[in-house]
Amino acid sequence: MQQVVNGILVVNTETIPGKVITETMGVVSGSTVRAKNVGKDIFAGLKNIVGGELTQYTELLQESRNEAVGRMVADAMSIGATAVVNVRFATSAITAGAAELFAYGTAVKYE
Amino acid sequence: MKTSIANFRSFSILVIMAFVTFSLKVVAQGGAVEDEGLPLVLIFLLPFILLSLFGVVWMILWPAMFVWGAVFSGAKVERMHEEANQRRDSLRKRMGREILNSIDGGYRTDVSSAGLVHANGVFGPSHWHLMIGFVNNLIGGSVTVFQQVISAGRAEVMQRLREQAEEDGWDEVINVRIDTASMTPQSSNTRNTVRGVEIFAYGTGIKYE
Repeated sequence: MQQVVNGILVVNTETIPGKVITETMGVVSGSTVRAKNVGKDIFAGLKNIVGGELTQYTELLQESRNEAVGRMVADAMSIGATAVVNVRFATSAITAGAAELFAYGTAVKYE
Repeated sequence: MKTSIANFRSFSILVIMAFVTFSLKVVAQGGAVEDEGLPLVLIFLLPFILLSLFGVVWMILWPAMFVWGAVFSGAKVERMHEEANQRRDSLRKRMGREILNSIDGGYRTDVSSAGLVHANGVFGPSHWHLMIGFVNNLIGGSVTVFQQVISAGRAEVMQRLREQAEEDGWDEVINVRIDTASMTPQSSNTRNTVRGVEIFAYGTGIKYE
């Protein structure tokens, strides 16, 4: 994870450590629904019998989360913000094997 | 899983029945197979044959893997927890302190940069654990097997967050939050889906000058 995504600073604290927020510009958000292919689903189903980590789904959620953050950052860029603070994540499983990831935060300008 | 296992089983039974009736018909006709009829039928049946093959493989594989899980999964969960704790201890020794904090603050003032850091993992109990959990659920009280799986997973994910922070070069991670989400949706047929929880930890990494 890079510290600055496309020139936009992303933090999940209310303020940016070491910086001063000059202007808040409202809520920005990004979401994505992704699924793995049937083969990986079947493999995850087999792995589930013996228990432990389901690596396919870990990967799936990691990729989708990065995509959701990317979309949130694109949203922030489109309104001319320089940082997104107080980022929160929400996850919901739509069907087993497909997950919706939602990232939201407050777009701000900082000094 | 989108494609449930029960479907494969019923498909396999259907296809076997279709083949038996088809071959009986061929035998009744005196063993003479129609020249154009057979390949067409085969092409039509091909996806079903593949599904039925999967169903047969599954029927053999499932009991074997279930027994494997019954013998080894408990020890595996414990080993995962222990290993995560060992890695945490060695990282603490290396960094000289615990780098994760759940408060928004408490950092020094000479911060040079900040950014998001996150780590996740999906963990599921084995089918053997599910069975023990079911019995445990009837009796009531604390369901220890699930608690073990989830706490081992959480230890692992916290350690991944620490390692990610170290890799990205952060000196400290503040405002750490941990989310737990079920991978099995409420509306689905819970008998034939993957059972697992996703543990997700995120925080703000900060670097001092």
